[in-house]
Amino acid sequence: MMDWLQAHPMTVVGLVLWAVGVLWLMPGKQAGSTRPKIPGLLLTAAGLFAFCLSCGKPQTQLADEVMFWVFAVSALLCGVLMITARNPVYAALWFALATLATCGLFLLQSAPFLAAATIIVYAGAVIVTFLFVIMLAQQSGAAGYDQKSGQSVMATISAFILLGAVAMTLQQEKLEIGVPVVVAKAKETNAAVAPSPPNMSAMMQASGSGSPAGLPTAPADAPEEKPAVPGNLLSSADPDHAVGDLKGLGRSLFSDYLFAVELAGTLLLVASIGAIALAPRREQGAL
Amino acid sequence: MPEILITLLTIGVVVAAIPGVCNYLILLERKLSAWMQDRIGPNRVGPMGLFQPLADGIKLLLKEDVVPPHVDKVLYVLAPALSVFTAMMAFAVVPFGPVDDSVPGFLRFIIAPNINIGLIFIFAITSLGVYGIVLGGWASNNKYSALGAMRASAQVVSYEIPLGMSVLGLALMSGTLNLEELMHQQTQGGIMSWNIWFQPLAAIMFFTASLAEANRLPFDLAECEQELIGGWHTEYSALKWALFFLGEYTHMITISFLTSILFLGGWNLPFIAEATSNYPGVWLVKLLVLSGKAFSFICLMIMLRWTIPRFRFDQLMELAWKVMIPLSLANLVMVMFCMHFGFNRWWLFVGSLGLFAAWGVISANLREAELAARPGYVKPKKKAPAVAHGHGHAAGHH
Repeated sequence: MMDWLQAHPMTVVGLVLWAVGVLWLMPGKQAGSTRPKIPGLLLTAAGLFAFCLSCGKPQTQLADEVMFWVFAVSALLCGVLMITARNPVYAALWFALATLATCGLFLLQSAPFLAAATIIVYAGAVIVTFLFVIMLAQQSGAAGYDQKSGQSVMATISAFILLGAVAMTLQQEKLEIGVPVVVAKAKETNAAVAPSPPNMSAMMQASGSGSPAGLPTAPADAPEEKPAVPGNLLSSADPDHAVGDLKGLGRSLFSDYLFAVELAGTLLLVASIGAIALAPRREQGAL
Repeated sequence: MPEILITLLTIGVVVAAIPGVCNYLILLERKLSAWMQDRIGPNRVGPMGLFQPLADGIKLLLKEDVVPPHVDKVLYVLAPALSVFTAMMAFAVVPFGPVDDSVPGFLRFIIAPNINIGLIFIFAITSLGVYGIVLGGWASNNKYSALGAMRASAQVVSYEIPLGMSVLGLALMSGTLNLEELMHQQTQGGIMSWNIWFQPLAAIMFFTASLAEANRLPFDLAECEQELIGGWHTEYSALKWALFFLGEYTHMITISFLTSILFLGGWNLPFIAEATSNYPGVWLVKLLVLSGKAFSFICLMIMLRWTIPRFRFDQLMELAWKVMIPLSLANLVMVMFCMHFGFNRWWLFVGSLGLFAAWGVISANLREAELAARPGYVKPKKKAPAVAHGHGHAAGHH
């Protein structure tokens, strides 16, 4: 833990700056008390910038790289704007945008079906339902409880500790999983890591200063990375990662993860039955 | 010619052509409605009123752009743009002509070819289309607009389910979601391999649900002139209003092409455009055949608008949740059954008709039971003339 903190000062500084900025931007405990937004925005931007710098850069072609940064930064920014928006409708919209940006990332990882399904479910249905509820609940502008946030300090701290933990895991993942993948590719052996999903480690190069120097890289005589299939992003599933492909996904879901899928389906069924049971009947005066 | 130039050319042509086509579709709608109602319709501007769309376009462009003071300005301006954007995006993966070797190299009748998840992409994009309506209604800060927006969101979220599920059987049967591939399979087999023979019920459900997605009558409860003035676009005027309609008509075009491609065999037409036909200019004929099919679907939609009255809101929801979703599930199970046990595909035709009939009987019985459960219901006597509650529609006030 401490080693990690010392090894990644940039990540820590970025996270702290970002957290303070978000805390500043959030509405206070009293309704209507508004701080000037500029310092909060500056802090957030600086923190985001530092954090992104510390993540290392994706090792791909220029267009992919540009798109990765556009999607990643807009997803994070929309997330911040979502929790700091004072108007719930705008918050829902920022949520939708964050979802879309994440779907862009899915597309970059050659998972077009996942992207489309996420758009349908989240942007197309869940957030529309949010908007529906917000409109029903608030006929006359934003309510008082939307103007203040109760536990902003605790919420920010816990959220950013979580984010730090995720960042830490990813950086460690790079060391543990990333190496075998590189080695396996270099040796061209069909190792057990073959079905590894296209995770962050595949996208991110080890950040220069933070990683140990002993990280083995692919030797020069190793076969080059397979060039991306020309065509469009929506269809070119990476043949090495058949997981993102529709057939691969379907096969995996209904064989490897059959139990989990059935369990989740049952859970949803129970929830919908519960909702129907809880809703007032027509005889009880509803509609 | 390099790929990117062709893509840019196609995008340019489509983006330039669609507003013009939409303009003339509005003229067509006015002329058809006039014909159906025994009127003459627009006939002042140009021969037979042919320049009416141009005059309308100029009027909408030059009209004062009013932004009411009580609206949420950002979302008010964003909403019409979103409406057009999503409609145009969905069109990107729809082939609007033949996509094979017969087409000369510099032409391409699809903006983004070879999308494996074509159908799902369209559903994803069209499911975003509701944002235009919902935000427009909310930003207008007007009770009628808000009511329209709420109706729209409930309607679109509900009808997305039957829309997606009705083509699941088709996807299962064909083994692909790629629109070009789906078209190819039907055009190779001739008229007897059109999907409408094997999935007639799905075709009807798909068309109905897409009407609801496009907010066309009889599903235009979001707009509903008689109750809500204009619903979500009450506060809009000039070009912003026109953008909403551009979005709606683009959506209609997309639906028509989709229905023709999915169920009616794409550009295939017996004797004229077969897979084996190989005369000069065959690509033009294929293009015309596919466009003609789409055009007849557009005419059907327009005639439906002037024929069927609007649904009541609870009827709308019942149609989605109690009729179309169970039916499309049953249809899907039927296809799975046939595929698994390797039955002849024609059994699906028989099965679809059987399902349709069975569901008709079931819903009639359900309706009767529901009516009988209402307080104060008098059972209509047999062979008696219509009594007070005879129709059920009139009894529906809660």
